[in-house]
Amino acid sequence: MTVPACLHTLNLGFVALTDCAPLVVAQRLGLDREMGLQFCLHRQPSWSAVRDKLISGQLDAAHALYGLVYGMQLGLGNPPCDMAILMTLNQNGQGISLAPALADAYCQGASLMEISQQLGRPLALAHTFPTGTHAMWLYYWLAAQGVHPLRDARCVVIPPAQMSDAMQAGVLDGFCAGQPWHALAQQRGVASLVTDSAVIWPNHPEKVLACRRELAQQQPDVAGRLVQALLLACHWLDQPENHALAAAWLAAEDCLAMPAELILQHWTAADAGPLHFCDEGRVNYPYPSDALWFLQQYRRWGMWQGNDAAAVVASVNQTALYEQAARACGLSLPAVHDRHSVLMDGSHWPDYSGSAPSVGALSQYTH
Amino acid sequence: MMAAMTASTPLRLLLVNDTDRPMAQLHAALTAAGYLVVAQAQGAAELLQLVDSQSPDIIIIDTESPSRDTLEQLALMGHAAPRPVVMFAEQGGLPAIQAAVSAGVTAYVVDQVAASRLAPIIDMARVKFEEDARLKKRLLQMEEQLAERKLIERAKGILMERRQLSEADAYALLRSQAMQSGLRLAELSRQLINSSKLLG
Repeated sequence: MTVPACLHTLNLGFVALTDCAPLVVAQRLGLDREMGLQFCLHRQPSWSAVRDKLISGQLDAAHALYGLVYGMQLGLGNPPCDMAILMTLNQNGQGISLAPALADAYCQGASLMEISQQLGRPLALAHTFPTGTHAMWLYYWLAAQGVHPLRDARCVVIPPAQMSDAMQAGVLDGFCAGQPWHALAQQRGVASLVTDSAVIWPNHPEKVLACRRELAQQQPDVAGRLVQALLLACHWLDQPENHALAAAWLAAEDCLAMPAELILQHWTAADAGPLHFCDEGRVNYPYPSDALWFLQQYRRWGMWQGNDAAAVVASVNQTALYEQAARACGLSLPAVHDRHSVLMDGSHWPDYSGSAPSVGALSQYTH
Repeated sequence: MMAAMTASTPLRLLLVNDTDRPMAQLHAALTAAGYLVVAQAQGAAELLQLVDSQSPDIIIIDTESPSRDTLEQLALMGHAAPRPVVMFAEQGGLPAIQAAVSAGVTAYVVDQVAASRLAPIIDMARVKFEEDARLKKRLLQMEEQLAERKLIERAKGILMERRQLSEADAYALLRSQAMQSGLRLAELSRQLINSSKLLG
């Protein structure tokens, strides 16, 4: 590969989570420079900060919750901003933990409603951002078990790094977040993982590479090279022999600032569906059907009443740009562009029945 | 209105003090400016508790605070009445400020805050918040009216089809039935639509 004399600098945002690994690895392996780019990584204290800095242009692109991008696009809690999803960065690797006593009861077969009744109050559960993936996993998990997330439980947002403290203080009964924050809570004895996110939706999409639409449209060459660098990093990350080195890089003070062993622990130990970064490209294609699921859930919980979900998705998920970049790195493209999944409540996605959009088997659990 | 409010009942402020920025130092400046700092939150969990227990009028937070997402949830999902939030941004962060005026956020302050600058900004935040809240309420009402109108249209359509009525007759029938049963027209329409689904 020829290295251009002048590197194009890109400011990339990330939040301290194991699944920011593709950005860190791409930089450490020099994949950015191979693509004529220079990554400047900026750790962000909140998803709100990622959002604001993407809008303002302080960040060119970012590791983002799938739902954060659609919240931005639809103007849920912010002025609407035309966004682009360039690729999916990972599948799986999130989870739900409960306080140890509740986790024991749950694992012995007590229902969430029974647990809540025993406590004599709604469960207090945390996720990480109102439109984010963890909110949607948590709500789906609750609804599938007969608990209305907005009526029968108290769902709040706590930053992942503060989950353990909040559990310890007894402010929370449980939380849904990414790793290594469950591993930390478990190590401190304040929570136990009860559900891997892959149980809720096997091989669900999680973080994406997001940028303003403008960048994808006006600098498709730069966006394409960015995708290529991250695809190579994702492929590298899926080789088990590279996990230890990746964990060591993630452990750094300016990255996760956590012991490497803790980061590695969950990565290799997931039984339901492991954290994937590439799976020969099956992870990374920006499937429109994945995005439609989030819009359907926003509608389900009364967060969005708009129409034309398909048109919104077609404008955000940059499938053509992705296909070109994947071909350039020799990565195969999925044969079908709608992923078929069966979720924990038995409902199929996408739903081809042609009837009104399903909101899960327990359709009464809507807003 | 503002003068009366600040004279009799000082605005109650909650400071979120969980970054390197010396937010605590604002305490004295704010008090001097006639505000009541009811509490300081050191983290997200404490912030949630204090929002519940203290019902502050305004929350002051650093743009780089990890607790911002906690406020986003309150603003978007309406768990608690949303409150105006004033943010402190990095110097030169004005584009970010303009871009980020979001659901709960009504004003930003750029670094190096002098007490004299605080009062107008906080007052402005409050006024703008109240305007936004009024607008939001009106929008919500309009959306509800529209949804109700759609329900009534659908119910009318069902009556027209099932009972071979003209549009005007179907509407008259709905109205008289609503009056007799003491139901709102939209509520009766909803019931009619639901039961017609059951009957197939």
